[in-house]
Amino acid sequence: MKQAIPYSSGTAWAPRSDDGGAINGGRQPVEPTGMAARCAASGGDIRRMVEENRVVVVGRRGCCMVHVVRSLLLGQGVNPTVCEVGEDADEAALIGELPTEMVARCGGDGGAHLRRQGMALPAVFVGGRLVGGLDRLMAVHISGELVPILKQAGALWL
Amino acid sequence: MMELYLGYLEDNFYRFKPSPNSMSSASAQFATSRRIGIYEPNRQISMWGDSFKADSSQNTGASTIVEADAKHDNRLGDIPLESPGPSKKYDQEANKPADKVLRRLAQNREAARKSRLRKKAYVQQLESSRLKLSQLEQELEHAKQQGVYVGGHLGDSSLGLSGTVNSGVAAFEMEYGHWVEEQNRQTGELRAALQAHVSDIELRMLVESGMSHYDNLFHIKAIAAKSDVFYLMSGMWKTPAERFFLWIGGFRPSELLKVLSPQLEPLTEQQVVAVCNLQQSSQQAEDALSQGMDKLQQTLAETLTSDPLGASGVATYMGQMANAMGKLEGLVNFVNQADHLRQQTLQQMYKILTTRQAARGLLVLGDYFQRLRALSSLWTARPHEPA
Repeated sequence: MKQAIPYSSGTAWAPRSDDGGAINGGRQPVEPTGMAARCAASGGDIRRMVEENRVVVVGRRGCCMVHVVRSLLLGQGVNPTVCEVGEDADEAALIGELPTEMVARCGGDGGAHLRRQGMALPAVFVGGRLVGGLDRLMAVHISGELVPILKQAGALWL
Repeated sequence: MMELYLGYLEDNFYRFKPSPNSMSSASAQFATSRRIGIYEPNRQISMWGDSFKADSSQNTGASTIVEADAKHDNRLGDIPLESPGPSKKYDQEANKPADKVLRRLAQNREAARKSRLRKKAYVQQLESSRLKLSQLEQELEHAKQQGVYVGGHLGDSSLGLSGTVNSGVAAFEMEYGHWVEEQNRQTGELRAALQAHVSDIELRMLVESGMSHYDNLFHIKAIAAKSDVFYLMSGMWKTPAERFFLWIGGFRPSELLKVLSPQLEPLTEQQVVAVCNLQQSSQQAEDALSQGMDKLQQTLAETLTSDPLGASGVATYMGQMANAMGKLEGLVNFVNQADHLRQQTLQQMYKILTTRQAARGLLVLGDYFQRLRALSSLWTARPHEPA
């Protein structure tokens, strides 16, 4: 009798938690026991995380909205990398350290108003670009634009 | 007082005639005043002026009189109809009814005095009302601090609810009351329009009013959330039956879609898919928010149960409280996000549907809420034994 392949030996099956990629390539809502990579971030840290991970959520430590964002993305089959900043972190300063292409949104003003007001936290980055805060995430989710955005960034494939 | 001036005008326009009718007290006074230097109409003015200044001294009056007299002389000079003839007559006529004139003067004085007294009484009444008002306000303040619930919905079973009420809540209750009235009116309008098969253009206007009316609701809720988020979350501003369906301070978008969808048929295949997707998306978003709320409850509980023995001291306790306070403030965010989701869901529906379907949809919603409110009224009024 053939021995069943042990689950643990198959690297292809392991959730790739370090690059914010899809879980099992499918839309299964999974609540992992451990959170994806966290970091106490400065602007430079955020920049690095956004460049290296397909889906990144930047939020304040202890903020429950981060949990909302994360739950929503998990529900779409995406495991985001969560980047935590200090509770007193200055949003304007953080966004100032990010390159323009990262914060410019489609049809936006190159992120100029964001630079003035500061980024609303929690903020979601997909494919190295800022999507927006929870408001925007909800809006694109309801309008059906979120999945295409995720797919385009390679964060989701079906 | 105006009669005096009218009398003057009449007399001078038609030339002064010493007949009983035209010899009005006014004209007689005029004549006399010119002679004895006391100008009655202006004296009247100064009397009123006195009472407004709360100074009933006749002397002040007199000084104004002189000025007024001079002014009036100028005016007399301007009137073209006046001729030297009649003015001579003034002097002659004036001597005769001196008694009448004096009596008239006395009557005017009396009238003016009475007017002053009336005014004084009125002002005193105002003052005491003001005092009473500020006393009532103070009482209200004390009652509030003792946790007595004051304000709307006393008809419900909410009398036992204790809590502080602030002006933001009162303002919201009032505005929400108006919002509901307008909602009912718009629903009626939609009903009539759809029954009468009006044009799409007219329907579109009604639909856009309806959509922006919902925007108004979310706007006033946002303001109220900053004022008292727990009030909003309690749903006490809604009727009981509506409260049953409460989810983070308002209606659940996915529930609303379930109410709407069957009433919108016939839908195209494309629309069916879109509605289905919207149903799913709103459900997912609701779940995400609900999970966030659960997390908030969990962390709040953790913050408050950290040190039951109080071994860590007062500073830690205060720190925990401050922490917990921050968490509570997060609730405002949740209510805002929930309202934002409601708004987005409604707007997406608007995009999916035709104008006529959207009109029908708004009617269905308006009607549904009306029925819930009617049900609440029935429930509140039902005969039952008090607990």
